[in-house]
Amino acid sequence: MNWSLESAEIAAAPQRGGSEMDEFIRRNVMMVKLEDMVAWGRKNSIWPFNFGLSCCYVEMATAFTSRHDLARFGAEVIRGTPRQADMIVIAGTVFRKMAPVVKQLYDQLLEPKWVISMGSCANSGGMYDIYSVVQGVDKFLPVDVYVSGCPPRPEALLQGLLLLQESIGKQRRPLSWVINEQGIIQREENQVQRVIRGPERIAATELRSPDEV
Amino acid sequence: MRVPSTVSVTENLNAPVGVAAVDYLRAVFGDSILYEQVTCDAIPTLWFAREDIQRALTLVREQPFAGKRFEMLLDLTAIDERVRVNRTGQPASEFTVVYHLMSFSGNGDLRLKVPLFDNDLHLPTATVLWPNANWYEREVWDMFGIRFDGHPNLYRLVLPPTWEGHALRKEHPARATEMDPFTLDDAQTDIQQEALKFKPEEWGMKRASEDSEFMFLNLGPNHPSVHGAFRIAVQLDGEILVDAVPDIGYHHRGAEKMGERQSWHTFIPYTDRIDYLGGVMNNLPYVMAVEKMAGIEVPERVKVIRVMLSEMFRICSHLLFYGTFAQDVGQLSPIFYMFVERERIFNIIESICGARMHPGWFRIGGVAQDLPQGWEQRVRELLDFMPARLDEYDSMVLNNGILKRRTQGVGAYTTQDAFDWGVTGAGLRATGYEWDMRKQRPYSGYENFEFDVPIAANGDCYDRCAVRVEEMRQSLRIIKQCVDNMPSGDYKSSHPLTTPPRKEKTMQDIETLINHFLSVSWGPVIPPNEVSMSIEATKGINSYYLISDGNTTSYRTRIRTPSFAHLQMIPTISRGFMVSDLIAIIASIDFVMADVDR
Repeated sequence: MNWSLESAEIAAAPQRGGSEMDEFIRRNVMMVKLEDMVAWGRKNSIWPFNFGLSCCYVEMATAFTSRHDLARFGAEVIRGTPRQADMIVIAGTVFRKMAPVVKQLYDQLLEPKWVISMGSCANSGGMYDIYSVVQGVDKFLPVDVYVSGCPPRPEALLQGLLLLQESIGKQRRPLSWVINEQGIIQREENQVQRVIRGPERIAATELRSPDEV
Repeated sequence: MRVPSTVSVTENLNAPVGVAAVDYLRAVFGDSILYEQVTCDAIPTLWFAREDIQRALTLVREQPFAGKRFEMLLDLTAIDERVRVNRTGQPASEFTVVYHLMSFSGNGDLRLKVPLFDNDLHLPTATVLWPNANWYEREVWDMFGIRFDGHPNLYRLVLPPTWEGHALRKEHPARATEMDPFTLDDAQTDIQQEALKFKPEEWGMKRASEDSEFMFLNLGPNHPSVHGAFRIAVQLDGEILVDAVPDIGYHHRGAEKMGERQSWHTFIPYTDRIDYLGGVMNNLPYVMAVEKMAGIEVPERVKVIRVMLSEMFRICSHLLFYGTFAQDVGQLSPIFYMFVERERIFNIIESICGARMHPGWFRIGGVAQDLPQGWEQRVRELLDFMPARLDEYDSMVLNNGILKRRTQGVGAYTTQDAFDWGVTGAGLRATGYEWDMRKQRPYSGYENFEFDVPIAANGDCYDRCAVRVEEMRQSLRIIKQCVDNMPSGDYKSSHPLTTPPRKEKTMQDIETLINHFLSVSWGPVIPPNEVSMSIEATKGINSYYLISDGNTTSYRTRIRTPSFAHLQMIPTISRGFMVSDLIAIIASIDFVMADVDR
């Protein structure tokens, strides 16, 4: 269930062989399965939790503001309480002293809920292999998307968000209470980005010189 | 630009106030002074026995020397000396407690040291003399296990209350991967949460007064208005704030321990992440401290490049403060405007350094690379668009009536309060005291620039903001002088300890090749010494106290950060106000938790 923007002339032009009535229906009525529509709705209305730990949060906040504008992707309703949110971005270093707090906040998020791990510290501890830092938030939380960087650029977070949305769009969940398994059906396995983007990255042969602006 | 003056930092530190203090202490204590140490930063350093230290500190606090006083306890820390090799002449000691005192009126420093032994780790508290000693002593207890007799509440400050051991002792593991793997099941979560629970009785608070019951409100460690992982527990009588207990340590990344394991060179990126809004400005005190020990003089071009980038980061940091400050008192729009400017400055920084927030671009003896072709034009663009935007923000934020009413007269303190609590930077200047490291102790060539030090009169939230806004204009002035007068020359020094070493000196013979290989792989060996280097960072005085034991790593890295001192003051300045005022006060301090907990 997807739509794309098209220019006004193309959109307004009647399709060949169609009557006016057909055209009206084409533009206003959509036939889908309910579970597909719910998945589409979920995908495009993520409510992120306003949560930050360190440097990465500043780049995350940059993604909210004008230049990058998270609102374009339907994820701008930042909530101050976990009970109104369904996605948490672990933006920054996960500290030993902070870990129980992070765990509690995660537990309070609404189901279904998702986790983006933003930046090297949250991914693996990064450059902080030190006594006070948990070596990756996945030591105690399930992570859906890892965004690399120290800190990642706002664009990288946006890419991570799009990947998460894509993944959510492919999930099908029971629409109500069901007997037996309550399982989530993941329609397709999430692809490893290294495999998908590898050829494109390797294809780059000429890098910009650092001597020019 | 004016003609370069010849005044150096070292001469500033050899100020009459320090000399007079040493003479006085010699006359009073005579042979009881254990040792007079000479360090390469020229700060007079005296060793006292535990029995004498409180009297010595009291005299230093109360006596004027050459008509000037030591107003501030700038830093209080300790050194685990047990595995240090180069201590010639110094009194026997396993743990040394260090007091760094600063005279603002006399522009000089004084360092006092106390030797202690592991089987008897305690000494008298200094909280009776300087209120800001409270957190510093708690930190020393937390990190080294040294007790301060008479301290009002010697409780762990940084590490979790359930922690075992003291992290900065040499036997404590540095790496998480040396310790047992971290796990967190539900039972452990409950234990940890229970340990973190705020218990008013532990802080001497009553649950009720004669006519009302107090409410205790826990703000943080995750709250949009506390700017990161910071917690403050508030005691309320109705809406009125009776007392507060700030709780820190949720952002402790062990940077000081990290300094003992990274080479001198590879520690530079960690400094970026101390005040993570200050970018390369954090590199500056660190590399200057190392250069001082190594005896490296950097070329003029390096100095000016460093100043230019530091000032750009100062603007970025102040813009973020400006926007969040307005947001916290209810103006939601300004931050969206200010981030546009910030983004434009980041584009320039990125085109020069290759990164946005943490370039780690300064090097020991220089910078990472020369300025790219076409940099002048981009920086001039910044100088063109920025002033008009700042004027617009004045009318949007500073002249806004609601903002004024929310912030004027709120959270005010005097210059003396600022000294007592170790407040520096804009927080000190807002009280009407003109002090800026760049003016008083010029480093990296700041003596050659024309700029003003903005001050205000009332020391309230509004003034702290107004001072920073004016500082951005002054930073633009400095950047303009950098562009107009960028000296030609090398971007790194030719000194052999410059890191990374100069490639052209490498391929001469086997000796030069070996030297190059060693200083790239192991890193440079810095001669044994001690040095303290302070700069005017975005948030106040940021100081690195480094001890080299003649090795490829630092023996002890002490980072004195401004935000740490500023947070400690919150209860004092917010009593009697309402919770909404507390939010304005917190916003006006401009702190970064990484700068507090390190």
